[in-house]
Amino acid sequence: MRRRLGFAVTAALSAALPLVLPQYTLTIVTEALIFGLFAMSLDLMVGYCRLYSFGHAAAYGLGAYSCGMLLARLELPLPVGIVLAVAITVIIAIPIAWVCTRSTGVSFSMLTLAFAQLGYAMLYRFKEFTGGSDGIDGIPRPVGPFGIAVLQGKLGYYYLVLFCLFGSYLLCRTIVRSPFGAVLSGIRENETKMRALGYNTRAYKLTTVVLAYGFGALAGALFAAFAGFASPELFFWLASGRVLIMVIVGGAGTLIGPILGGAGFLFVENQLSQLTDLWPLIFGTIFIGFVMFAPQGVWGLITRSIEKSPAVTEAIEREETSGAAS
Amino acid sequence: MEYPLITTQATRRRFLKGALAAGAAVTAPAYLTRATAATPIKIGIPTVITGGYAVLGQQVVRTCKLVKKMTDAKNGVLGRPVEFLFQDTQGDPANCVRKCQEFVERDDCRIFSGVIVSSEAAAIMPKLEEWNAFFISHGNGDGRLTAELFVPRFFRANTSAPMGARAVVLYLRDAPQKTFVALASDYSWGQSSVKAFEEQIKKIGKQLVDKVFTPVGNKDYSTYITKVLQSKAEGCYIALQGDEARAFYSQATQYDLSERVQFYTEIVAQSDIEVLGKDSLGLIGGSRYPFTYDIPQNKEFVAAFNEEYPNVIPDWTDGEIYQALMILFAAIEKADSTEPMKIVTAMEDLDVTSVKGPVLMRKCDHQGENQGFVVKVANNAKYSEPIPEIVKIYPREMATPDCRSSSFSN
Amino acid sequence: MDFLGFAVTQCLNALSQAAVLFFIACGLTLIFGIMRIVNFAHGAIFMLGAYVGYTAIAITGSFLLSLVVAPIVVGIVGMAFERVFLRPLYGRRDGGSYLMLTFGLAVVLSEAIRLIWGAQPLGAGIPRFLRGVVFVFDQPFPLYRVFLIALGVAAAIAVWQFLERTRAGLLIRAVSQNAEMVHALGVDVDMVRTVVFGIGCAMAAFGGALAAPLVTAFLGMGTTVVIDAFVVVIIGGMGSFLGSIIGSILIAFVQVVGSYYFQELALAFMYLLMLLILVIRPGGLLGTEE
Repeated sequence: MRRRLGFAVTAALSAALPLVLPQYTLTIVTEALIFGLFAMSLDLMVGYCRLYSFGHAAAYGLGAYSCGMLLARLELPLPVGIVLAVAITVIIAIPIAWVCTRSTGVSFSMLTLAFAQLGYAMLYRFKEFTGGSDGIDGIPRPVGPFGIAVLQGKLGYYYLVLFCLFGSYLLCRTIVRSPFGAVLSGIRENETKMRALGYNTRAYKLTTVVLAYGFGALAGALFAAFAGFASPELFFWLASGRVLIMVIVGGAGTLIGPILGGAGFLFVENQLSQLTDLWPLIFGTIFIGFVMFAPQGVWGLITRSIEKSPAVTEAIEREETSGAAS
Repeated sequence: MEYPLITTQATRRRFLKGALAAGAAVTAPAYLTRATAATPIKIGIPTVITGGYAVLGQQVVRTCKLVKKMTDAKNGVLGRPVEFLFQDTQGDPANCVRKCQEFVERDDCRIFSGVIVSSEAAAIMPKLEEWNAFFISHGNGDGRLTAELFVPRFFRANTSAPMGARAVVLYLRDAPQKTFVALASDYSWGQSSVKAFEEQIKKIGKQLVDKVFTPVGNKDYSTYITKVLQSKAEGCYIALQGDEARAFYSQATQYDLSERVQFYTEIVAQSDIEVLGKDSLGLIGGSRYPFTYDIPQNKEFVAAFNEEYPNVIPDWTDGEIYQALMILFAAIEKADSTEPMKIVTAMEDLDVTSVKGPVLMRKCDHQGENQGFVVKVANNAKYSEPIPEIVKIYPREMATPDCRSSSFSN
Repeated sequence: MDFLGFAVTQCLNALSQAAVLFFIACGLTLIFGIMRIVNFAHGAIFMLGAYVGYTAIAITGSFLLSLVVAPIVVGIVGMAFERVFLRPLYGRRDGGSYLMLTFGLAVVLSEAIRLIWGAQPLGAGIPRFLRGVVFVFDQPFPLYRVFLIALGVAAAIAVWQFLERTRAGLLIRAVSQNAEMVHALGVDVDMVRTVVFGIGCAMAAFGGALAAPLVTAFLGMGTTVVIDAFVVVIIGGMGSFLGSIIGSILIAFVQVVGSYYFQELALAFMYLLMLLILVIRPGGLLGTEE
C-alpha cells in the first residue's frame, strides 16, 4: 500500500515535470531517464544475480544501432522500430549469454567485456553497413500510425520515455518478486547450494542476462531516436564502466537506486561539467567513497534510514499483524 | 520649405502629430540600436579540449580569444560584441550533438564553428534545421560534407581533404617518384583523403600501389611502417593528424623511413614539426594555411597573433578558424542580421580576401574555393624551429573540386 | 624487400610490442594471482609511469635514470593506494568491490595526470645513444626496439628467477595458492599483498617509461593499452606468470599479422581469439581459475 502510493506520487510528479521545467532542462531530463533505464537493466544482473558485467554497453549499443538502422534506412514507425530493436538484441543476446555464463566471477566479467569490445570492432569492420566511425546519423522520428505526430515533439518523447521507464520498472519488479526472482537471490547468496537443490542455475543466469540485454536495448533504442544519432563510442568499455558505477552508487539490487543513480549522474554531470574542469576527478572520488563506505549505494542509504525510523517500524508491525501484504 | 500661412486648428493638430511622429522616428532607432548594441553575437565552439586531437582544439580556442580581442577593438560586428562559448566534446560525435543542443536551448546560440572531427560535423549537420542554426566549418575535411551529405545551413570555409590531396597531386606532376603508397587514419577524413588521392594520381599517370589504413587511436606504427617499406613505393602519401601523426613521424624516423620513401602529407602541421625537430626537414605536403603567406591580410593577422602569443608560430588551425570567422562576420554584416537563414543567403557567392588569399563561398555546394598551397619544411633564420615554406600556390579554380563532388574534372 | 628480411622484421616488430605488453600484463597477472583483484587502474598506472619518466628526464636529463625513478615512484603510489583503499575491503566477500575501486582509481588517476601535466602530449624523444638502426637482412630496424626486446627478455628472466628461486618469491607463490595457510604460519600476508601490488605497478610504470619515447606520453594512452593487457592475461591465464609471457607474444603476433594481412579485421581479431580461448578453456591457456 505504502509502495503503491509512493509509486503513484512519483508517476504524477514526473508527468507534471514538463510544466515547470525550461526546454533545455527537459532535454537533459529525458536523456537522464533513458540512462536511468539503462542502469536499471544492469541492476538485474549485478544486484540480483551478482553478475558484474563490464560489457553492458553492448546492450545499449545494439539497441541504438538496430533502432537507428530500422528508422533511418527502412523508415519504420517509431514504436515498431523500438520493439524490433529490442527483439533483435534479445536474439543476439542469447548466444552471448550462453557463452558468458559458462564462467563465473572475473571470467564472466571479462567475457562480457570481450563481447562489447568485439561489437565495437565489428562496427568499424562493416563500415558500409554501420557507418563506421561516423555512426548512423539523421535518425528520424517518423510520424506514427494514423498520422500521430505527438512523438516527434520533445514533450511527446518525454512521455514516451517516462512510460517505458515506469513500465520496465514494474515489469522488473514483478520479475524479481516472482519465484524466478527468489531463485535468483538464492543463486546470489550461494550458488552451489542452489545447484545442490537441483536448480539449473546456469539457465536462470542466462535468462537474467538476456532480460538485462532486452531492457538495456530498450534504453538504447530510445536514445537513438532521441539523439537522432548512434556512434561506436556507445559500445566502448568506458561506457560499460560508467553505467556499472551508476548501479553501485545508486544502490545495487534495488531497481530504484540505479534509476536514480543513472538519471542523477547524467544530470549532475551535465551541470557540473559546465562549472568545473575537475568534474571527472570529483566523480571518481565520490565513486571510490561509495565503494568503500556505502556499498549499498544512495538508495540503500535512504531506504535504510527510512526503515529504521520509528514511524515506519510501527506501520510495518501494524501491516504484519493485520495480515495485509503489499 | 514652405509653411502654410493660415494654420487652422486641424492643420495644427496634423502638424503636431506629424512632428511627434517624425521626432519618434528620428530618436527611436537610437533606443533600438542601443538595445541591440548590448546583446552580443554568440558563437558556439564545440571543440576538442581533451582527447587525441586536443592540440587542434586548443589552437581553435586561442585564436577565437584573439579574434574577440580584435573585434572588440573595432567596436564588434554590426556594432555588437562577439561572444565565444567554448565546450569540450572530446571528439565524440554524440557529445558534440549534446553540446550544440545546449547552445541552442540554454544559451540561445545558433551559430557554430570550431568543430574538429569530421564525424562530429556529420552528426550535427542533419539537426541544423531542427535547431534553426548555422554551422561554418574551419577544418572538417571529409569531402562528403559538401557533396553527398550537403545541407543548406552548412558552409565549409576551409580546404577539404580532396582539396589537400589535389594540391599534393598537382605538385607530384613534376616530382620524380612514380609509385606511391598511402597511409591514413581509418575514419571518414582519412578515407576521403586517400580516395581523392587515388583518383587523381591515376590522372597524372602515376600509380598507387597500396593503401594502409591505421586504426583510430593507434600507437604502435611498426607494422604499418614495415608495410610501407614492403610496398616498395617511391613516395608515401600521409593523411594523419594530431597525436597519431606525431606518433607515426617519430617512429618513422626510427626506421629511417624518410630516407627510403619520400613523404608527402596532406597537411603539414607545425605541431608535428615541433615534435620531430630537425627530423622534419624536407617534409613536403599540402598546407591548409601557410603562415608565411605574404599578403596584407595575413601579415595583419600574424602580427596580432604574435603580439598576443609571442614566440608561438601560428599553425594551420589558427589561420583556418580565423578565416572562417572573418567570412562569417562578412556575411553577417552583408545580411545585417544574425538570423541563420539570412546568413546563408548572404554567404552564398560571397567573395572575400582573407589570410589565405581570395576565397569564394560557392552557392552550389557551400564549399569555399581556396587556393591550394604546397609547402616544404625548412630551416629559417628568423625562427627557432623549422617552418613550412611555400613552394607552390595553385589557383582556387584548380584546387577546388566540382560542385557537390569530391572529384576534379579539370 | 625479400621475404626473409620482411618476415624477420615483422617478428621483431611483434616482439617489441610484446615486450611493452608483457610489462603491463605481468604486473596485472601477479596482482590478480595474489589478490584476486582485476586492477582496472593498470592502464592509468602505465600512463603515470610514462609521465613520471618524462619529468625525470626533464629534470635529470638522463633516460636511464628515468627508468629507475619511474617504477620506484609509481610503485610507492601503488602501495599507498593498496594500503589505504584496498586493504580495508579484504573482509568483503564480493569481488565486485575491487573491480569498482580500481575502476574509480583509474578515473581519478587519469584526471590527476591531466591536471598535473596538462593536455598536451609530452615527448622527450629517444635518447641519443639508442637512436639509429640495425640492419636485419638488409632491412632497417630501430635500435630502440631491439633495446625494448632485450629489456623484456631480461625482465621476464628476472621475475621468473625471483618467483622460483628466492624466498620472497616462494612466499608470493604460496600466498597466491593458499593465503590462510601462509597466514597461519605467521607471515604477514597483508604486507606481501602490498608489496606485490607495488611490484605490479612498478612493472607497468617501467613499461610506460619505456613506451614514452616511442609514442610520447599522452592522455588516453592507458585506456587502449589496458584492454590489450586484459586480453593477454585472460588468454594466458589469470594469475599465471608464464601465461603472461605467452599471452603477450601471442597477442602481439596476432595484432601484427592481423593488421598486416586483414587490415579491416585488425581490431576484431584479438577479441575473437580471446573469446575462442575462453570458450575452450575458461581459465585461459595456463590458468587455474574455473
